[in-house]
Amino acid sequence: MKTLNHKHGWAMAIPAILILSIVGVVPLLTVINYSFFDIFILDKRFWIGLDWYQELMQSPRFWASLARSLLFSTLILTVQLPLGILIALAIPKHGIWVATCLMTMSVPLLIPWNVIPIIWLNYLRLDTGFLGQFLTFIGLDFDWKFNLFHTWLALILMDVWHWTSLVVLLAYSSLSTIPTAYYQAAAIDRASRWQIFRYIELPKMSGILLMAILLRFMDSLMIYTEAFGINSGGPQNATLFLGIDLGEQIKAFDYGPSAARSVVYFIIILFIVWAFKTALDRQNSGGAK
Amino acid sequence: MKKYFKIILLIAYIALVFLPLVQVLQMSFLTTVSAASTEQPVFTWFNYYHLFTSPILGAAFFNSITYVLLNICLTIPVALPAAYAFSRYSFIGDKHLFLAFLAFRVTPPVVLALPMFKIFSLIGLVNTPFGIALAHCLFTIPVSIWILESFINAIPKQLDETAFLDGYSLPRFFYEILLPLLAPAIGVTAFFCFLFSWVEVVFARILTVTNGKPITMAIDALFGFSTDMGLVMAVIVASVIPGMVMFYFVRNHIAKGFSFGQT
Repeated sequence: MKTLNHKHGWAMAIPAILILSIVGVVPLLTVINYSFFDIFILDKRFWIGLDWYQELMQSPRFWASLARSLLFSTLILTVQLPLGILIALAIPKHGIWVATCLMTMSVPLLIPWNVIPIIWLNYLRLDTGFLGQFLTFIGLDFDWKFNLFHTWLALILMDVWHWTSLVVLLAYSSLSTIPTAYYQAAAIDRASRWQIFRYIELPKMSGILLMAILLRFMDSLMIYTEAFGINSGGPQNATLFLGIDLGEQIKAFDYGPSAARSVVYFIIILFIVWAFKTALDRQNSGGAK
Repeated sequence: MKKYFKIILLIAYIALVFLPLVQVLQMSFLTTVSAASTEQPVFTWFNYYHLFTSPILGAAFFNSITYVLLNICLTIPVALPAAYAFSRYSFIGDKHLFLAFLAFRVTPPVVLALPMFKIFSLIGLVNTPFGIALAHCLFTIPVSIWILESFINAIPKQLDETAFLDGYSLPRFFYEILLPLLAPAIGVTAFFCFLFSWVEVVFARILTVTNGKPITMAIDALFGFSTDMGLVMAVIVASVIPGMVMFYFVRNHIAKGFSFGQT
């Protein structure tokens, strides 16, 4: 039960709103402003209206990178989510090993993002890397630089290695809030392991899993630093994702087009977040029975 | 049977997580040899010696730790009341506000990097740790609000009501009753602020042009015509340690956090 109190509610949220206005809203408005101009240097610019948007919408390169990013995010989710849940279920509920387990698994989360591709390029080296040597050993002629499928495989393996533990952490924390009485009741009813998962654990986890899905989906949709470090969008743009395209445009100081692109990305983000929030609310109202 | 399966699964997963890191650790203790030469790398402490004596790397570590701590100090006091508001009150636009916060959390830094640089250079925040700390609030504040809200949700509402009946004002209740209760939550939140701020690269790069380079940029700068991979690996190992220390302090509370949506 929440109290209806507009004054207190807004007053307490205001500090957060203020900071996010400075670092979020103002830059966003600036980007929107830039996107209508042709800019050579920031003091000299020409109003061109929606030209950049038109150009972007008509560029096959944009649609191709959007499709690539959507595919990448989908693949990442289909691997990370079930794997993360499975690992979370395997971690014991109590005992001294829990903290150790969580801590060792979380190490990849603590590594700076620009270092991730350095580690993986090294790991994949055919002559000295552990994984590279293993792939050669099983007879796979692994070539992440020029073979499209191998680059994708490398990126997916890297991202799974990097982020699955976040799903594990989130899933485990929601599992640990399920009262033991639920499991005892299930045991009395002779529920199977699958039934326990389907009717007790999954509903309990659903809210936090949606959040995990949102975080993982968006972060992999907009992946930049790690993917750029592996193959700079190659071979032949086969891993040119949304983030990489934008990052390169910004590096080239294409203010106008990159601003228009940023606005389009933000609209995509807003739409996806809205869809997730709707799903989350439905879950919460449905789960309160 | 099931118990063994679980243990094998866990060990396999941890092993796969660690394999790339083992290689990093191994290389950090080996001398760097050029690919063309025939000499074999040998064991050495020199990479770590180099790391600890290099003033550039030391300064980079100092810069990174400074802005991460600043970020935590900025985020938590701001996120706490907002999380309380989301947890306890319903107010006009609360759903939309939460949605907006979420949207900023998932907005990639590349989208906002350019204007952020422009604005920060206008107000003189470029090249300062404070600038990076403020920029990182973009994602640490929404995440913190979310985590803290779930912790506050777990505290029964009767506690607030009794305190108010006893004559506590809202600020006093916050300070004297709620904060001590939320100490573990604040620890966990600080860890997640640390996690997302420490590893971020795009803002950290664009906001440090000439000065105040963080550790992430220092690692990039180590790459050159002939890269000392041994040293790079040693720096990578060192860059994980502060996070591990943070994790150690909050390890017992991490799992109890974010029981999202519970009332």
